Formats: sequence, C-alpha cells, structure tokens
Amino acid sequence: MIELSKILEAISISLHVSFVSTLFGFFLSIFFGYLIGTREFHFKKYIISILGSLTSIPPVCAGLVVYLIISRSGPLGWMQLLYTPSAMIIAQFIIIFPIMTTLIINYIEQEYPQLREELLSYGASQKDILMLMITNQKSIYLTIALIGFGRAISEYGAAAIVGGSIDHVTRNMTAMIALETAKGNIMVGVSLGAILISLSLVISFGINYFKKND
Amino acid sequence: MNIIKKIFFVFVLFTSGLEARDYIIVQSTTSTANTGLLDLLSEKFLEETGIEVRAVAVGTGTAIANAQKGDGDILMVHAKQDELKFIEEGYGVERFDLMYNDFVIVGPKNDPANIKDENEITDVMKKLSSPSFKFISRDDNSGTHKKELSLWKMINIKTPQHASYIKTGSGMANTINIAAEMQGYVLTDRGTWIAFTNKNDLTILFEGDSALFNPYGIIAVNPNKFPHVEYEKSQQFINWLLNGKGNELIKAYAIDGQQLFFTYN
Repeated sequence: MIELSKILEAISISLHVSFVSTLFGFFLSIFFGYLIGTREFHFKKYIISILGSLTSIPPVCAGLVVYLIISRSGPLGWMQLLYTPSAMIIAQFIIIFPIMTTLIINYIEQEYPQLREELLSYGASQKDILMLMITNQKSIYLTIALIGFGRAISEYGAAAIVGGSIDHVTRNMTAMIALETAKGNIMVGVSLGAILISLSLVISFGINYFKKND
Repeated sequence: MNIIKKIFFVFVLFTSGLEARDYIIVQSTTSTANTGLLDLLSEKFLEETGIEVRAVAVGTGTAIANAQKGDGDILMVHAKQDELKFIEEGYGVERFDLMYNDFVIVGPKNDPANIKDENEITDVMKKLSSPSFKFISRDDNSGTHKKELSLWKMINIKTPQHASYIKTGSGMANTINIAAEMQGYVLTDRGTWIAFTNKNDLTILFEGDSALFNPYGIIAVNPNKFPHVEYEKSQQFINWLLNGKGNELIKAYAIDGQQLFFTYN
C-alpha cells in the first residue's frame, strides 16, 4: 500500500531534522542554562518562570510564529526557509529549547551551590567547577538530550505548518502518519506510529547503554 | 570544539535556504494531494524537465492566503470566485481552467434521510438541514466548504443551527472518516471519495446536479507583486498541465478503474 522507500525517506527526514534541532537545543540550553543557573541577578526568577511556561508551548503556535517570521512577507522571508527542513529545525528548536534549558537550570540549582562551596575550599577556580559540573554528570545531559529529541521527533503541528508536508522534502514520519490517516489508511498510520516508537526505543536503549558504560 | 560545531551548524542552517531555486512551490488543495495526483504529476514533470514541483496541500482558503503572502509560485485550487478575486487584487497573472470533476453527497447506506430518490439538490439540502440527521461540515474555508455554504444558500439558510450539524475543521478525508464514525452525511469531491479507503458503510447517495460541478483552476503567482517567484518555470508547468504530457496524465489517472479528474481537451 505504501512503498518502503517512502517510509525510509520519511524516517531519514525525521531523524535528520530532529537530530539537528536537538543538537542546537543541547548546546544552547547548556550555554544558557549555566549562564542563568550559576548567576544571581535581578530578573532571574522571572526568566526561569517564563522558560517554564514556554515548556508547554503548543507546537502549532511555535509553528505559526516561525511561519510568520520566515514567510516571504515576514522579516526573514528573503532566506527562502519556508517549506524546507531548516524551517522544521527552527520550529522544533523553539519547542525543545525551553524544556532542555529548564531541566539544566534545575540540575544546576540543585548541585551547584553545594559543589561550589566545597570546591572553592579546596582552592578550585570558577572555571574548574563549571568543567566538573559538565563532565561529571554526563548521564544527566544525555537524559535531557533524549527528552528533547523525543519531543522533537514526535511533534507534528509545527513541522507541518512550516514544512508543508512536501513529498521527498519535508514529509517526516509524523506528517506521513497524519496524511495516511487522512486518506483513510488508518492501519498504515498505526504501523508508521509503531515504527516511530521502535526507532525511539532503539535510541533510548543506545543512550542507556552508553550511560552504563560511562 | 563546541563553539566550532555550533558555528558549523549555524552555517549549515542558514546556507541551506540561499541557493538558487530549482523547484517551484504549488499551493494546492487536499483533494489533489490526498488522491495522489499531485505526487504523480510532480514525479513526471521532474523526470521530463528537471524542475521539482513541491506541493503544499492545504484547504483552498489557506492556499490562497499563503499565496497572497508570496509563499508559493502557483495556486491550484477550486473556488472560482476567490480565484478571480486573487487575480483582480494583482496576486495572480491569469486563471486557467485546469480540470474538473464533481461533488457528491455521501452518507450511510441505509439513508435515514431518504435523499437517494430526490432529483433536486435543493430538496436534498432541505432534508439534510433537519436536526434529525447528522451533517458533517469541513468548516475550514476550503473549496468544498465554500461549495457547501453555497448549497445552503440555495435554500436560503446560512447553515443549519443545531447540534446535528457538526463542524470538523479538518481536511476532506478526515471529515469523511468522522462522517463514517458518526453515520452522518457529508459533501465531498468525487476524487477524494474514490481514493478514500476507509469508506465503511458510506456510499454516494446524491450526484449529478449541475450545482455540484467542481472546476479546478490554476494560476501563476504574479512576479510583479513578488519578484522572487519562479514565473518562467511556473508557466512551463502550467502549459505542461494544460496542453502537454501533464494533461494526458490527469486524464489517465484512475483508482479502481474510475477516472478522478477530467480535462477540457
């Protein structure tokens, strides 16, 4: 009913887009997480609250915001990003960045003050403490990356609006599930969903294995 | 190291959109995409000319709104009045009659409203406006939804105002899915209906009235309005559909032996 090559194509689009958006989310959330988490400043409370509330941004809204910005009539229209995988990456990034940053800030606020006091008494520098925080608990970062990736690869609304569900270009797994369901091929939709979950399972196993051997 | 990686990916992200465009974007309706016709046409046109056709399948209303923002090279929809307005406002160059089929009214086989034996669309709509029967509406500003509204207008009502008139806000095939579950009546284009695989016990109950004619138009987006559109390539695609191989493909496109779309030549 549906060719294998099409499914493989959708899987590769899903993986590519979600991998890149997670990578961006990962580095930028660590950067901003530490920037916010290890410092005391006036609006810190508010910034953390805003980030927390953005964790529940509906993907469709994230998609619409990105759409308005990268549409030909929008401020970044000249970049020709609409209906490309890059557009989907941006939209997914907006969805997962607050989640990943919130989790990292949470971790820092739990660990940092105590660790800092201890290490400073041993004569460690500020830089040493940060490096230790980052290298010491790799598994936490892996878990956060996995959560971000899971959210990115499973969302439909944002990628559909800015990606346009274009065959061979932006039709990822979730767009294909929606399309096949819309055509009435409900069993195909369910099967594709099962493939998507299996895929996440493999990645999750891989990361857990990596964590154990760390 | 991280910094280098970051810079690299920012670079990849932002350069991917800047290369010269060897594709055209078609803002189209769900009916042409869900039937698989557009996929076939894009594939053959790419083979013949090397130009990629990227189809965005949304409702007619959304397609027009997107094209008005400049997010498309071609508009391919089915709402003639709106298409002509699109051109009048300077967004499009010229409207061509591309193809047609017709709308049908689909409902449960046992036909509780007994519309099967009616001859006039107005009598059918009168019966279906009763709260005793469920009518499932797209309610998404699509071409089919606009057609439905025009049918209610023929019996001088806006839309039925009761709980049996159900608005889905989703695409054609999704709406048929819902009609199948709720045992309701629904207006659909014949192409989507033929291609639809989850018919359950729904069947065509009314067809053939001249009010149910469903013409599709095709319009190249005006390069004077949006200098970035690929006008030459778009016109090439339009000519290919009107007079070239594309025309043959549309005529030959059939599912289960039934022709979905008809051309004018």
